[in-house]
Amino acid sequence: MQNPVRAGRRRRSRQERLAYKILLPALGMVFIIVTIPFVLAVVQSIQADDGTLVGLRNYARALSNPAFYDALRATGLYAVIVLPAEIVLGLGFALLVHRTVRSPGLRATLYILAVVPLVVPPVAVGVVARLIYAPGYGVLNVILERLGIIHQEIEWLSVPALAMFSVASVDIWQWTPFVYLVLFAGLQTVPKESVEAAQVDGATWWTQFIYIELHYLRPLFLLILFFRAADILRVFDHIFILTGGGPGTTTQLLSLYLYRVEFKFFQTGQAAALAVVVLVSISLLYTLVTRLLPLERT
Amino acid sequence: MQRISRREFVKRTAVTGAAFTSLPAFLAACGTSTTSNKPSKLTIAAVQGAEDGPLKKIAPIYKSQTGIALDIVEFPYPDLYSKLVTTFQANGSSYDLCMMDDPWMPKFGTMGALQPLDSNFGFTRDPDIPAVVYDVGTWPPPSGPVPPSEQGKTKHLYGITIVGNVEMFMYRKDIASTPPASWDDVLANAKLYGKSNFYGYVIRGLATNPASSDSLPILWSFGGNVFDDNWKVMLDSTASIDAINFLTTSLKKYAEPGAASTDAADRDRLIAIGQAFQSTTWPAEVTGVVEASGSTVIGKMGYIPIPQGPSGKGIGMMGNWLLGIPKGSNNGSAAADFVKWLITPANMRTYVQNGGIPTRTSLLNDATLASTNPYFPALAKSLASPPNWRPRTDQWNAVETAYGTAVNQAVAGLKSPKDALTAAATAVRTLMQQAGYPS
Repeated sequence: MQNPVRAGRRRRSRQERLAYKILLPALGMVFIIVTIPFVLAVVQSIQADDGTLVGLRNYARALSNPAFYDALRATGLYAVIVLPAEIVLGLGFALLVHRTVRSPGLRATLYILAVVPLVVPPVAVGVVARLIYAPGYGVLNVILERLGIIHQEIEWLSVPALAMFSVASVDIWQWTPFVYLVLFAGLQTVPKESVEAAQVDGATWWTQFIYIELHYLRPLFLLILFFRAADILRVFDHIFILTGGGPGTTTQLLSLYLYRVEFKFFQTGQAAALAVVVLVSISLLYTLVTRLLPLERT
Repeated sequence: MQRISRREFVKRTAVTGAAFTSLPAFLAACGTSTTSNKPSKLTIAAVQGAEDGPLKKIAPIYKSQTGIALDIVEFPYPDLYSKLVTTFQANGSSYDLCMMDDPWMPKFGTMGALQPLDSNFGFTRDPDIPAVVYDVGTWPPPSGPVPPSEQGKTKHLYGITIVGNVEMFMYRKDIASTPPASWDDVLANAKLYGKSNFYGYVIRGLATNPASSDSLPILWSFGGNVFDDNWKVMLDSTASIDAINFLTTSLKKYAEPGAASTDAADRDRLIAIGQAFQSTTWPAEVTGVVEASGSTVIGKMGYIPIPQGPSGKGIGMMGNWLLGIPKGSNNGSAAADFVKWLITPANMRTYVQNGGIPTRTSLLNDATLASTNPYFPALAKSLASPPNWRPRTDQWNAVETAYGTAVNQAVAGLKSPKDALTAAATAVRTLMQQAGYPS
């Protein structure tokens, strides 16, 4: 008679082998589109343009350039503005619709309206935003002047603080609906029984959110945080069109800076070094945050 | 019937498949070898916009005369440069000709990316075309500092200008009867004619390339420079600081609000709707907006070369678009024939009649053509001056970004002109030293 423990081990082993076989194409794709380019970037980062090995010289040059730190600061400030704004606004809309809109038709309409900004090409968003904020003919200044709120044109794109606000507002307009859609979907998973029981016990609007709904939304906050953080590292089009990174380097985010180093200056070694530094930093940050944040529902 | 094993079946299928799939490539290779002298088409990488429009219009004429079609592949300006560099790095044969902005020539020359037009295809200088037009397409550069890596190399002509772009100056001639002769006159006119909602001067001050292009003619006319003849950085020289101080302090008082975010399209709009008196300009801006239908100032603008500065000179900036033949092209001879065809006097006239900007002095001074292109005489004078080209270094894009950011900072009032230029000079020195220049 076969040992049941060994038989069980063999069964698990077969299942594992099957699992690996099924995973193999996906892992292969990840290897091709992530690992190989990363290795190539690392190799490029230690080479000169002619292919000779230069050790860490590209890293030293890239990290000693003050423009890199300007770009980091600008990216950090941009993230500090857009991430909380998008999460607060998206959450607010999601809760509002979840609690007040009962009509399926209206919910579907709001869903479609929320999708629209997400599918507009960023270049088009940038062009439209320029029509809003541009000096001389910007719609916003015209409206504010006609309403009598201002008597002199506001230089939205020329004053550093306003320029950052202007480019951030475009991001907030385009990506708040994403937060809304994700959180609204999350709110649909909250069991009605729990909510009704809490309401019977006299839970207020706020306590209902804090003690019940927030628990179901926590993993989604992390999802939103990382999707949006990744997007912020890729923001390019509307900033390029609105300010070109100016005034000065105020709105030159990391993506625009990296683009210039790689595709304008063709300093490929330094660009690769910067890409490796950014990728490793973000991976470490991601690991840290996922370990520290209480993500599981309790 | 003979039975075959599954293994044999797979093997035969693979061999047959490989044979069939390689057949088109084989036939194509045969075709290439037999028709290399006269291909059915030439593929041109071109910049999308006013610059390549006339080229598209004359393509059918060339086909009707030679049977060779011109396949013009368009890219937006920022994409064309990176597309060409990556194609050249791979020695690709995708393009038989490429349009090149003249500041790109150092990069392409240093890379050895182009076929020499003089030694390979017999191009010679035509006296009707200003020497500077040929010089800008020659590598290493025939005048000014030569990059250390290029010193001692034999000079060759690699590019032929097809868009004779030089930065000029425009003003409202219906308001001021005499054109400004100097930058002092420009300032005086800005003060005299500028009023509420009518700006005395328009600064194109958007960060990096726009601010750099707008300010370099002023910098040079004031006796300033980016580099001297030995690649010493001159951005923080007294003359350079004076020039940027003049632009961002004196002229800015009469300039439009939001100058730090103004690009060429914004400037042209202000001029075209009659809200501004004067500014620098490029030919494509004149034909595209200022003198185009819808403008309220058609016939009201005067065009002159860049006014004189304290140096006693008014120095325009070249922004020529050239045609070059990539080293990887398999149709170099046919591509050269097209360029020769394009620059003949008769064909260049047709090209101009279709919106092209000529390089031939005879066409620029032609009264008939000037009646529809009022800036032609100014362009002829600007080319004869001659204008400056941007420093001939493959590091120019990085230098321009540092300098253009500094000018933008000064326009926006974030830094004083002196502080901004001093910081830019330091950054450029580091950059050039890292690239092996004696800065």
